[in-house]
Amino acid sequence: MTIEVQNISHGYLARDGVSHFQALADVSLTIESGTFVSFLGPSGCGKTTLLRIINGLITPTSGEIHIDGQRVDGPKSDRAMVFQEFNLLPWRTARGNVEFPLEVQGVSKAERDRVVNRVLAQVGLDKFGEFFPHQLSGGMKQRVGLARALGVGPDYLLMDEPFGALDPQIREMMQLELMKLWDSDRKSVVFVTHSVDEAVFLSDRVIMFGTSPGRIVADLTIDLPRPRWVDDEAIKTSAKFIQYRNDIWRLLKRQLNSMPAI
Amino acid sequence: MSERAAPAAINTAPKPPRSALARWWDRRGFVNCLRWGAIIAFIGAWEGSSLAGWLDPLFASSPSLIVEKLWDMVADGSIWPHVLASANIAALGFGLSILVGVPMGLAMGRSVAIRSALEPFTTALNASPQVAFLPLLIIWLGIGVASKVALVFLGSFLIMVINTEAGVAQVDRRLIETARSFMANERQIMLKVILPSSMPYIIAGMRLGVGRTLVMVVVAEIYAATKGLGYLIFQAGGLYDTAQVFVGVVILASAGIALNSFLRWLEKRLAPWQHVQAE
Repeated sequence: MTIEVQNISHGYLARDGVSHFQALADVSLTIESGTFVSFLGPSGCGKTTLLRIINGLITPTSGEIHIDGQRVDGPKSDRAMVFQEFNLLPWRTARGNVEFPLEVQGVSKAERDRVVNRVLAQVGLDKFGEFFPHQLSGGMKQRVGLARALGVGPDYLLMDEPFGALDPQIREMMQLELMKLWDSDRKSVVFVTHSVDEAVFLSDRVIMFGTSPGRIVADLTIDLPRPRWVDDEAIKTSAKFIQYRNDIWRLLKRQLNSMPAI
Repeated sequence: MSERAAPAAINTAPKPPRSALARWWDRRGFVNCLRWGAIIAFIGAWEGSSLAGWLDPLFASSPSLIVEKLWDMVADGSIWPHVLASANIAALGFGLSILVGVPMGLAMGRSVAIRSALEPFTTALNASPQVAFLPLLIIWLGIGVASKVALVFLGSFLIMVINTEAGVAQVDRRLIETARSFMANERQIMLKVILPSSMPYIIAGMRLGVGRTLVMVVVAEIYAATKGLGYLIFQAGGLYDTAQVFVGVVILASAGIALNSFLRWLEKRLAPWQHVQAE
């Protein structure tokens, strides 16, 4: 049960058909199942691109992804994505949005209802199933996004800066709740983020990306005690946490300084 | 997860107390009073000018003459064959234009190949006055219902195509990507993402289409018809029966207003997220 990323390179062609942007250059890594892994790095380092390649939304220019030995050639129900901008269908209620992937996969109505009730309760939205996205706050919208992904029953949860569009207080709360949820089944999570603190607090492993071309510059194991949601203050003020944080910041600054323009 | 964030998002702050009547006035009353006031003033002025002899009822008719005529035609039942004939042509022609126009617009919006192949024809047809096709339609389809339905179709289906296509063009790419990421195939993306997302545009197209449909019904019924509201109007015009002309016009206008209100209501039902700011 692993994700194997083998020599992935990916380039985007500009409109003129000649200019070319190297988003990822020869990236390889292995993600063990049951771990919480963060992709961290400055904008344009290809971390989101790699997540999309793992999801199967993008076919890389070269290289292969194997999940549990099987080659990725498109989206599949063993992976589910949570998007930064929530991407909820505005004409569907919270319940309808969570139901969407199950409907698409031909799951029976009775089974859909059962799954939707379970995951909505898991994210604390059991009373908000009939609300439309425009009636929900940002945090609640992302809970719907998370419930939609959980409903698929994925082995791997792919999260693309899921809390990036939320304000700081809600963001911290969502981190705690994600930790709580994660502790209940310890599925594999690949979590893309800009935030050093978020990456250290959540992860077992932080993979740092650098730019031009996008590549891995560091791979750190975060050895902090779990569960982390019970006394998050103690964790965030511990010497170890601060040490990780400072180490990563130092690496990140080196990356930022080497960038041509910000 | 807990619900700590929930109440703040749902409960709105209580408003300072005002009487129910004052709130009704703010929301509806003022605007409605002006609207109905203007309508009543217009009808009153028309009727008054007619009574005072400033307007010749032979040319301008008057509201009371129109109502009287309408009442007579309803009472003796002579209005119904005309209404039914026109309604039949309008429903068939407009229904067909939705059935053909929406799928065609979806296909053109989604596929560059289909769009490129069909665009010369839609552009040309859109630029030409569709009424001019009526003689051809009569030659091809005869003077019965078919040519009239065809004219209505020709007049309204392009609006459906163009509006549907515009609807498809504005669909949020991220929603399509999300659907793909949850393994939706092309057909499911079309039916579950693109079609509902384009619905406000399609309904806007229908609202424009209603107007075109009514015009085409009247035009089609001028020629080679023995019943229908268009026939009624032009026959009455030839006899200087201006009250009967206005009866036809009033019925057509009422149908247009009723259909438009229904479509507006439907749009609110189908696209509630579009009306958040308005409420």
